[in-house]
Amino acid sequence: MTAMTPERPATRPAAHSSRPSPPRARKRFRLTDNRFATLLMLPAALFLAVFVAWPLLQFVINSFYRYNPIAGGPHTFVGFDNYVRALTDAGFGNSAVRTIAYTAIVVTLEFVLGLTVALLFSGLGNRSRFFRTIFLYPLMIAPIVAGLLWRFLLIDNSGIVNQLLYEAHLISSPNQIQWLSDPNIALFSVALPDIWLTTSFISLVLFAGLQNVPGEIIEAARIDGAHYPTLLFRIILPLLRPVIAVALIVRGVDAARAFDVIVVQTNGGPQNSTNVLSLLVYNTQIANGNPGLASAMGTIYLFALMVVAVIAVLTIWRPGSDQ
Amino acid sequence: MNGLESRRGGTRAILWTTLTVLVVLYAFPFVYMLFTSFKTPIETNAIPPTILPSTWTIQNYVMALSTQGVPQSFVNSIQTAVMSTLISLVLAVPAAYAVTRYRTRLGRVFILLALVMRMVPAIVVGAPLIAVFHNLGLSDTSFALALAQTTISLPLSIWLMASFFEAVPDELEESARVDGCSRLGSLWRIVIPITRGGVAVAAIFAFLASWNDFIFALLLTSVRAVTTPLQIANFQSQFGLDWGTMTSLAVLYSVPVIVLAIVLQRHIVAGLTLGAVKG
Repeated sequence: MTAMTPERPATRPAAHSSRPSPPRARKRFRLTDNRFATLLMLPAALFLAVFVAWPLLQFVINSFYRYNPIAGGPHTFVGFDNYVRALTDAGFGNSAVRTIAYTAIVVTLEFVLGLTVALLFSGLGNRSRFFRTIFLYPLMIAPIVAGLLWRFLLIDNSGIVNQLLYEAHLISSPNQIQWLSDPNIALFSVALPDIWLTTSFISLVLFAGLQNVPGEIIEAARIDGAHYPTLLFRIILPLLRPVIAVALIVRGVDAARAFDVIVVQTNGGPQNSTNVLSLLVYNTQIANGNPGLASAMGTIYLFALMVVAVIAVLTIWRPGSDQ
Repeated sequence: MNGLESRRGGTRAILWTTLTVLVVLYAFPFVYMLFTSFKTPIETNAIPPTILPSTWTIQNYVMALSTQGVPQSFVNSIQTAVMSTLISLVLAVPAAYAVTRYRTRLGRVFILLALVMRMVPAIVVGAPLIAVFHNLGLSDTSFALALAQTTISLPLSIWLMASFFEAVPDELEESARVDGCSRLGSLWRIVIPITRGGVAVAAIFAFLASWNDFIFALLLTSVRAVTTPLQIANFQSQFGLDWGTMTSLAVLYSVPVIVLAIVLQRHIVAGLTLGAVKG
C-alpha cells in the first residue's frame, strides 16, 4: 500500500495527481493518495459505524435474548427461540403480506400516475414549467402531516372526499365508502397520502429521463409510421429502463418501511388490516415491551428488504458502471 | 426539446386540459387544509363539510401557538434540522470527494455500504439508539436527535455529492496542484466553490429529512427536545379530533418548506433527478 495508488484505473485521466506530491506536503509525512482518500472517508465511515452499524448489531444481538425492559429482570439467552416464535406467529406472516401488498399498491399507482404526468409534461415541453413547480410541493410536506390531512379528507360522515363523490353522483350517500374503517379497503386508503406525497418524485425523475431520450430516435420511429402506443411501449419505456428501475427501487424500499403515514391514520387498525411490519415491530418493541421478539421480527424484515433491494440494485441498476 | 413534444393544436389542448385537471386534484388536499385552518371550530366539523370558510378567522392559529410547548417545538425543529444538515455536509463532502476523485477499492465498498445503510428501517436503528444516547448522557436533546436524523440524510448526501463531484473536470484540479495547491486546498478552494450548487442540493435534502422526520423524534425525545411533527400528532390524541388547531399548525410547519421548494425549485429537481438519471 506504500506504492502510489495501485487501485487507480488506467483509463482515468487524472494521472497528474498521482505524481509525487509537492515537496512541501511530502517533507513531514508520506501521505499517499490512497491513504489521503481513506482519511477523508474516515469521519463519515466512523459515524455510520457508530450510529447505524452498532445499533444494528445491538438489534440483531437482542433478537437472541428474552427480556422485559419495563419489568426489568435478567436477559436470558434463548437462541433462535424468538425467530421460531416470529415465524410461527400468524400476526407476523399477515403483516409481511400486508407490507408487500402496501408496497405493490403504492409503487404501481405511483408509477402509472407518475408516468402519465411525465408524458404530459413532455408533450407540452417547456410550457409545462409552471405545473412542474406546483407538482413539486407535496414532496416538501412531512409524511405525518400528509397522513393526518388525508385522515381528515377521508373521515367517515364529514370527509370532503365522500362529499364531493356524492355531489358528483358517484356514490349514493356521503357515508357509503368507509375509507379508513372498512378493513377490506383500509390498506388501500392508508396508501393514498403516500401516493400523493411522492408521485411527484416519480414524475420528475421520469420527466428528466424523457428529456434525455434522443429526439432522432423518436423522429425516425414517427417517420416509420409508429403510433403513440407503439412508440411508448417499444421505444420510450425500454430506453427509460434504468431510470424506471432506480425510481421504483427507491420508492419500493421507502414504501416497505412506511410508518408515519399509517400510524397517524389508523395505527394498524381496523382489525389489524393496516398493521404492516414497521408498525408490528414498533408495537412489539415499545407498546408490548418485548424487544427480543421485536428484534427477531425486525431482523427478518430487514434481511428480506436488503436481499430484495440488493438483488434489484445489482441486476437492474448496477451503480458505478459506466452507462 | 425532443420529439415527444406535441405539435398539433388539438392534441395540445387535450394535454393542457388533462394536466390542469390533474394539477387541481393534486393541489386540492393542501388547499383544503389551508381553508380548514381558517374556519371556526363549528364549521370544521360541519356535516356536510364546506370547502371555503363562511367566516374567516385566525382563532385556530392563536390556539395552536398558545398551546404549551408549541413555540418551543418550532425552535427545536429549526435547531435540530440546522445541526443535522451541518453534520451531514461536514461528513459527506470529504467522503464523496474521496470516493469520486481517488477511486480506491475501499471507496467503492464504502459507497455501496452507505447505500445499503440507506435501506435500514428507522425503527431498527432507532430503538437501540435510545440506549446509546442514554449512555452518552444525551437523552432528549436536540443534538442526539440531529445525530439520529443524520443517519437518514448522510447516505443520500454522499451519493448526491459524489454525482456532483463526478462532473468536475480533473484538469481544473491538476492545474491547481501544479501551481502548488495541496490536495485538501484544491478540494476547499477549487472543487467546493465549483460545486456549491450541489452542496446546496445536499443541504436542502438533509434539512428536509430532519424537518419532516417523525419516528426518531417519537423514539428519542420526550419533553425538552420535542419537535413540531410530534406536537401536530399530539393534537389528535390529546384533544380528541381537533382538526382546526391541527391543520393550522400543519400549515405553519409546511409553508416555510413549500416556499423554499418554489424558490429553490431548480436545485431540488436537480437533486431528485441527478442520481437517478445519471446512475
